[in-house]
Amino acid sequence: MRRWAHRTHLAGLLACIATACGTGHRAPPSGGITVTDDAGRTITLARPARRIVSLLPSFTELLFAMGAGDRLVGRTAWCDYPPAALSVSNVGDGMPPNIEAVAARGPDLVVLYRSAQNAPAAAQLERLGIPVVVLDLNQLTDLGHAARILGRLTDRKQSADSLARVMDSAAAQPPAPSTHSLVFIVWDNPPIIIGAGSYLDRLAALAGARNVFHDIGSPSAQVSIETIAARDPDFVAVLSDSATLPSFAARPEWRVVRAVRHGRFLLLPGRLFGRPSPRVARAVRELRNRLNGEGGAP
Amino acid sequence: MDRELIVAIRDLTCRYADAPRDALREVSLDIHAGEFHAVLGPNGSGKTTLVRAALGLLRPVAGRAEILGRVASEWSRRDLARVVGVVPQREDNAFPQRVRETVLLGRYPHLSLFGSVRETDRAAVERALVACDVRDLSDRWLWTLSGGEYQRVRLARALAQEPRLLVLDEPTTSLDLRHEMELFELVRELVDTRRLGALMITHHVNLAARFADEVLILADGRAAARGAPAEALTRDTVERVFSWPVAIEPFDGRPQMIPLRQRKDAP
Amino acid sequence: MKYVALLSVALATVAAGLLLGPASVPAGEFLRSPIVWQLRLPRVVLAYLVGGALGVTGVALQALVRNPLADPFLLGLSGGAGLGAVVAIALHLPGPWALPLAAFAGAVGAMVLVYRLGLIGGTGGAGGELDPRILLLGGVAVGAFAAAITTALVSLAEAAELRNAFLWLWGGFSAASWTTVLVMLVYAPLPLAVIAAAARPLDLLALGEEPAQYLGADVRRLKQLVYLAASLLTAAAVALSGVIGFVGLIVPHVCRMVWGRLHRTLIPTSFLTGGILLAAADTLARTAVAPRELPVGIVTALIGVPLFAFLLRRWTVS
Repeated sequence: MRRWAHRTHLAGLLACIATACGTGHRAPPSGGITVTDDAGRTITLARPARRIVSLLPSFTELLFAMGAGDRLVGRTAWCDYPPAALSVSNVGDGMPPNIEAVAARGPDLVVLYRSAQNAPAAAQLERLGIPVVVLDLNQLTDLGHAARILGRLTDRKQSADSLARVMDSAAAQPPAPSTHSLVFIVWDNPPIIIGAGSYLDRLAALAGARNVFHDIGSPSAQVSIETIAARDPDFVAVLSDSATLPSFAARPEWRVVRAVRHGRFLLLPGRLFGRPSPRVARAVRELRNRLNGEGGAP
Repeated sequence: MDRELIVAIRDLTCRYADAPRDALREVSLDIHAGEFHAVLGPNGSGKTTLVRAALGLLRPVAGRAEILGRVASEWSRRDLARVVGVVPQREDNAFPQRVRETVLLGRYPHLSLFGSVRETDRAAVERALVACDVRDLSDRWLWTLSGGEYQRVRLARALAQEPRLLVLDEPTTSLDLRHEMELFELVRELVDTRRLGALMITHHVNLAARFADEVLILADGRAAARGAPAEALTRDTVERVFSWPVAIEPFDGRPQMIPLRQRKDAP
Repeated sequence: MKYVALLSVALATVAAGLLLGPASVPAGEFLRSPIVWQLRLPRVVLAYLVGGALGVTGVALQALVRNPLADPFLLGLSGGAGLGAVVAIALHLPGPWALPLAAFAGAVGAMVLVYRLGLIGGTGGAGGELDPRILLLGGVAVGAFAAAITTALVSLAEAAELRNAFLWLWGGFSAASWTTVLVMLVYAPLPLAVIAAAARPLDLLALGEEPAQYLGADVRRLKQLVYLAASLLTAAAVALSGVIGFVGLIVPHVCRMVWGRLHRTLIPTSFLTGGILLAAADTLARTAVAPRELPVGIVTALIGVPLFAFLLRRWTVS
């Protein structure tokens, strides 16, 4: 039985390659969809995508939110929201993507996150004749843009556009008056903090928290503990799915930071805070609640 | 005259690990103070093995090697270095050094673990430099010396150890005539004036015959002959050991070996 | 006198380490500031100790393997430490000290492996004897092997955290505290004393193993003890502050140029010089691009190379 499956798989791949060799420079058929993605590539689909593989949890969420969730045939192991996503086939952890697993789902569109690590994957999928749309998702403003593109590719323009408007307005909110200060710590040894270039900084501003390293333009940077101590944030925020304090909280050199000494940590779950997500409004609310000490769901 | 016995080797048999044959078989040798011994023999006859075993670096399979009455392998390296000064065949100095510094290394066996270099040490270095006629070179870098000068410096280092016995392993290979003669003269003089014992491995049969008090000829690990040069260096022995026809002619009361030509039509 | 100059520079670097930093500490609060006494001072002291350890280890290793290009990290220890750290993160080992302990264990594991390899090539005597050339080759091989396993682990498991482990490996003194200083102060003296006691025999070893033996060095024990002491010092250095290359390679040469070859002077001066280099590099790493911080290894190379070139020109001309 297994040998049959392999042969079929192989035949399928060969067929894909054969079509790919022929698909080189065809003119777009009339009535088709053409978009330009964030890598400057042009994607042309003869008809709206019906078998989509999403390689980032946020893209999965977006597709479900715009009503195209039933067209997903593949998702990453990290895609766990909404709950309906769990019934879609898992094609691996997606970093980098497992090309064979993706191709085995027979997709007519793959949604890929733009990064240097994913560039070879995009090229490989193209060679197999599978359309790939490469999208940024580093800032909150990328959400609306991604939604619009996906809406056109799935012919769900209307719901996608209204979704985009909601997320854009959430992202465009003026920063709330800051009631607290915080520092985001990605790694402790050496200390890596989040700067203004990251969406987390924006998220904090929306929630009314001032990132003490807002003066650093890049998304992240290595700093000394003494700098953190001198800037004296009220809270230390870390991405963590558990309820226990991070291990560096117990280290003697970190106790010079007041927030560490007093145990004022914000443990932010990765699902909601790990990447810009369509639930940005919820993330902001969650953060604000925790800052004001009302606790929050883990 | 009652001369002190420095090295006593009796029926020494040695074999290297995994070797098919013995490297030495039942070799005996006695070295007293004031005696210059030469060890001769073709390549692979066991000369270096003999020295290693005599200095306790190689455990014998049978027989024994003693230095000043104690079994050679039981000497600590430090104690032994105060009694025996060795000039090995090869030295590969990894870092640049001056003459005086390198001769000072010979005093190390006399220095305590954390103690400093004392006046007595500096005096010993001075004496060694003078005895080997390299005092004028003492501030030179080693790499600027000629082959002969370097050898004398190495001998000075061994002398700085203030040993009772000097051991030299083929010290004159690649030296020219003058430096070769100078080295042999120097060793002879040290033996005579300081009552040292000397053990020299050499390929130079004729010089060994001229300068040494006793020669030991090794062949295939065995002693082919042992004794005063006039007795040990006979035509039969030399021809057998070195597999080449020779004539033996006396010179200055010592036998000198003259190799004969093999080709029949030679003049 | 050169020694006085060295000591003054040493004190000056300590002062600089205390006074300079990305955080501005008002003069009035200086004596009470926890930033100065809980962060900067332990950091400067640890940098000294690690730099000194690396300098002395470099000297000892270059003498042991009779190769002026030897560096403490050629022994495969950094590969082992990296593997230990990555395993600790992948297994989510608990506690704030899990990472350095696992790194240390990994480094020691690599040391034992290389030691066993080094015994294989050794010549006769009772049991094996260390062959320094095999030590070098074995170190490179073990290091590469460990690095390969580490890379495999990182690529197979949850990516983000493990990639951050590599940041740690690039070296730095962020984790300095009085606790780590105490650990080093308790741990380092013994291996340092072993190497110091080997000063004279190491002078002899420069002539070659056989001549060194004839001059009274117990070469077999010397190689074992020096290798173990050097490895243990390096293992601690890596566990506490990652891999900081260049110090162990360059400091011995600098000191040899200024103070000569004898290990009796070379060992203490290398300790001080290595400490100065690393403490100064750390202070620069903290202040050059404030509020950001540079990895220390980059700064040691940036300081060390011009310094070395300058001394090379000056001392080869004379």
